[in-house]
Amino acid sequence: MRFTPTELTPDELALQAEVRAFLAEELPPGSHEPGLGMSARHDKAFSKKMAERGWVGMALPTEWGGHARTAVDRFVVVEEMLRWGAPVGYHWVADRQTGAIINKFGTDDQRERFLPKICAGELGFSIGMSEPDSGSDLASVSTRADRDDGGWIINGTKIWTSNAHQNDWFICLLRTTPLEPEGNKREGLSQMLIDIHNTPGLEVGPIPFLNGEHHFNEVSFTDVFVPDENVVGQAGMGWNQNTTEMAYERGGPDRWLSPFSTVEQLLRETQDTELGERALELFGELVARWWGIRNLSLSVARLIDGGYAPSVESSLVKEMGTRYEIELIEKLVEFVDEELTLDSESLFSRLLSQCVLTGPGNTIRGGTIEILRSVASKGLQGLPV
Amino acid sequence: MSFETVDELITETADRLFGELCTHGAVQAAEETGGAPEIWSAFAETGFPWISLAEEAGGSGGTLLDALEVLRLVGYHAAPIPVAETGMLGGWLLASAGLELPEGIVTVAPDASGLSINADGTITGSAAMVPWGRSAERLAFVADGKVASVDPTAGSIVEQTSLAGEPRDTVTFDGAAADIAAAPDGVDPAALRFRGALSRVAMMGGAIEKMSQLTVSYTNERHQFGRPVARFQAVQQHLVWAAQDAALARMAAESAGQAAHRGAGEFEIAAAKLNCNQAATRATKACHQAHGAMGMTQEYPLHHYSRRLWSWRTEYGGTREWSRWVGHAAANQGADGLYPLITGGSTTPPRN
Repeated sequence: MRFTPTELTPDELALQAEVRAFLAEELPPGSHEPGLGMSARHDKAFSKKMAERGWVGMALPTEWGGHARTAVDRFVVVEEMLRWGAPVGYHWVADRQTGAIINKFGTDDQRERFLPKICAGELGFSIGMSEPDSGSDLASVSTRADRDDGGWIINGTKIWTSNAHQNDWFICLLRTTPLEPEGNKREGLSQMLIDIHNTPGLEVGPIPFLNGEHHFNEVSFTDVFVPDENVVGQAGMGWNQNTTEMAYERGGPDRWLSPFSTVEQLLRETQDTELGERALELFGELVARWWGIRNLSLSVARLIDGGYAPSVESSLVKEMGTRYEIELIEKLVEFVDEELTLDSESLFSRLLSQCVLTGPGNTIRGGTIEILRSVASKGLQGLPV
Repeated sequence: MSFETVDELITETADRLFGELCTHGAVQAAEETGGAPEIWSAFAETGFPWISLAEEAGGSGGTLLDALEVLRLVGYHAAPIPVAETGMLGGWLLASAGLELPEGIVTVAPDASGLSINADGTITGSAAMVPWGRSAERLAFVADGKVASVDPTAGSIVEQTSLAGEPRDTVTFDGAAADIAAAPDGVDPAALRFRGALSRVAMMGGAIEKMSQLTVSYTNERHQFGRPVARFQAVQQHLVWAAQDAALARMAAESAGQAAHRGAGEFEIAAAKLNCNQAATRATKACHQAHGAMGMTQEYPLHHYSRRLWSWRTEYGGTREWSRWVGHAAANQGADGLYPLITGGSTTPPRN
């Protein structure tokens, strides 16, 4: 494991300037309610505008509508969007991982059907992994797919499926070979693409979030037919396909920038007043740590562009970044020392309220920090990850 | 535009040499006797302490990045010798002002506010926490627009030590003779403070990395409940946190080094010292906890690193000083400039 310092090239800095100018024009501060990183609003029109500039599906090949850009280019676009609190929700998952999975493991037919639409910002994806009895022990999923003429029949239930009610398609991890008593549960799993809204037997229902908001869903399958052409890659290889992509998913800016707009807004609301020493110390600590974590995260993107799959590095960064997000929110709460309400006139206060309420998710979503530690510690000890 | 790299030969040679010289016993003996003349002379023979000082000034040439790489290895091997003081701190003051570099150890007064340069060119007053004051041929300091070089034995020396048992002496002069020269632009107490902080982050990056590696190997060897303690999730948490802080500290130190190699790099040095101070606090805690009682003994080497980290984290500015400095930089940028400051650092233009 080695993180090498890197910096943006002149071309990458030009891209950064272009994204900043776009955001300043589209979403000037004060004109929109910023989101908290990747859980920002769904806004199909905004996703479309980004896509028109070539900022969705950036790293995908040009023949499928992508732009053949690097992981660092994507890092530059994504960090600016997230720190701005831009409404990236609709294309987020498709851009970050589903497009990459389809490109890497899918058939040409699948690439042609899905990638151009993803790159156009016209296709929102949800991910179907967790189930009532399978969370961190993901390989134990039991939603099953049985062989049928030209396809598979699915029965079972997926839960915690974010935004299935707003997205179009669903990439789902399913058991296609029944698990034998002494069998390896990482074998016999497959990934399938399923249309959320036009599939008989598929039902989506809300699982209200702790404050009543609708993010999570339960997706149930009753004899749902999925044709063979929607199986991603090789049936039975779903686990490997899934974990390969984790390296790309884990170390990015979405794991340390969620509360940025909150801190920025605190400075905006206090910047005409003299900041006391305590405020200076707080801002100093936050800025310095972001600088440090960003350097690590950027170097992970550079490693990916170098053809390396930095799964240990990205797990370390995600574990550190998400824990830092929570520590930061706690520091802000202690610093302002006031009663919080989502109904406040202060945007900062509304954002901080939202940070507190959604905070527990930061260190759970996409793999709990406990699972990340287990992956990272195996890597540190030279054991297979 | 891309980051400059360090000649691998420097890394290999310094790593090998320190590995041979700085054994557990030798580092322990240095602490007990207050010096390590054999380690110093073997290391000085290579010319490494004077890297980054120009050859025409009596230095060894090379870049600041080369010097910082050697300091990383000083931290990694807990080398008990004043490499930073002789080279990029005290040596830098002397060479910048055109004063003679001696053959032996140079030290520096980290805080020269208690020292005065008299009208007749003699020195009066006192400096505390002077590294290896007792072993140095010259003490360099900068004050009132001048650089002074004085023989510490011309004053009285009260021997004191850091938390790591390294010499941090109080040196007091009463009209001692000195060589004095005007300090050129950019050589002043503030610049020395940043440079001192930069030297410490390089060393801290190395020390945390070593401590993290020691902890991985110890917890794999130590068995309890019939298996290596590293198999327990509660212990793995310490391993992961220490490795994160090792990565964070080294990345911060190297990024600050690159910025300082190109310009003043003040933002990066301040942010790096802050990160390293906090990383040192967290990582020493995690590594000691994972080592149990063994880490608290003199016979096991963990303390060489943990105590140096506790010492270095408060040298050249603790957490409060540097968080206020970075906080001022953030306040000066304002809300719209906050993220550009994080990405651009010291190259960020001032707010309109």
